Amino acid sequence: MAVTTLEPIGLGLERLEAMAEAGYYNPYTTFSWPDTLPTDAPWMSEDLVTLAGTEEWDRMPRADQLALTRWEAIHFFSLNVHGIRDLLGEVVLRIHTPTYADTAEFMHHFLGEENEHMWFFSRFCLRYGGKIYPAQPSIGVQATDGLGEAAHELLVFARILLFEEIVDHFNSRMAGDDSLPPIARELNRVHHLDESRHVAFGRLMFTALLNQVRATRPADIPIVAGYLNSYLDYSIRSLYSPAVYRDAGLAQPLALRRHLLSHPARRAAHDRMLVRTRKFLARSGLQAAGTQPGQGAPT
Amino acid sequence: MNGPISQVVSFIIERNPTVGTLTWDDDLIDGRAIDSLAFVDFIFLLEELGGAPIDPEGIDVDDFRTLRLINQRFLSGR
Repeated sequence: MAVTTLEPIGLGLERLEAMAEAGYYNPYTTFSWPDTLPTDAPWMSEDLVTLAGTEEWDRMPRADQLALTRWEAIHFFSLNVHGIRDLLGEVVLRIHTPTYADTAEFMHHFLGEENEHMWFFSRFCLRYGGKIYPAQPSIGVQATDGLGEAAHELLVFARILLFEEIVDHFNSRMAGDDSLPPIARELNRVHHLDESRHVAFGRLMFTALLNQVRATRPADIPIVAGYLNSYLDYSIRSLYSPAVYRDAGLAQPLALRRHLLSHPARRAAHDRMLVRTRKFLARSGLQAAGTQPGQGAPT
Repeated sequence: MNGPISQVVSFIIERNPTVGTLTWDDDLIDGRAIDSLAFVDFIFLLEELGGAPIDPEGIDVDDFRTLRLINQRFLSGR
């Protein structure tokens, strides 16, 4: 095992562990999966689709709006599948290592629950959409190469936390949307409940690792703050998929994506998605600059 | 540089102002001119300029290593 400069992380997770045990369910038998879903109802809350609030949405025939909600739902769940695969890999690499030994019990719950989330999201995509949209391409080059070990670890868990917080904005809204098919509503509801524990864990981990960065290499903090701001921008952009627009029959999907990313109504929607996360980062001393997709945020 | 490749250069410099002047054969990957967070939008730009979709599951990073390779692979004839 590689030598580490990190101090062991102790987070006092007994309450979260007890909640995970008490709330455990069998996902393989919990849900009722109809063979098909109705096409005369939205599959994603209409105020969450990436055209919501725009003239383009208002001009669409009702059938086209509903088609867009279907492909956006499949895309949103596909993003979850890929995001979960990435975070599972990172947590598996760390469980029961000396630095994270004290958090291993909760990490077991985390890994188990995330595996189950990936299962039900992928099942929805394949059963009702016939596919999982491909993962975003990556070249494996980060603008944060050269950071110290604590900052590197902080970014790993920060990416997980930010991903979960953005996703939860969608889950919490759709969990209570009676216009959605019951299976879509239920998956969002269950995910929201589990993620509330994961977000609490993520914030504790974030703070513990940030404290280690402050103690060991404070010069890394502005770089971390800049990267996280760019990561929020990247996460928002990833919601806008030309492949979805193509599947929904919309013209000029690439130009539409560019237009939407700078549309005032969409920028206001982005602010709503990120308000909770930005407050947390600001309280942590990592003030995000609040740049918006389309403003040329730094990489 | 003129034509579509000049828009590629503008995209890189806008996202990464520290990159300075780029030549046809600078290594954009090892030189950190493009990183993973910018790569998705970079692909979409090339799709738009090249007029053809790029399969995200069939990407070879070496195709993006220099402006010359990008021009040959994605912008040829434009």
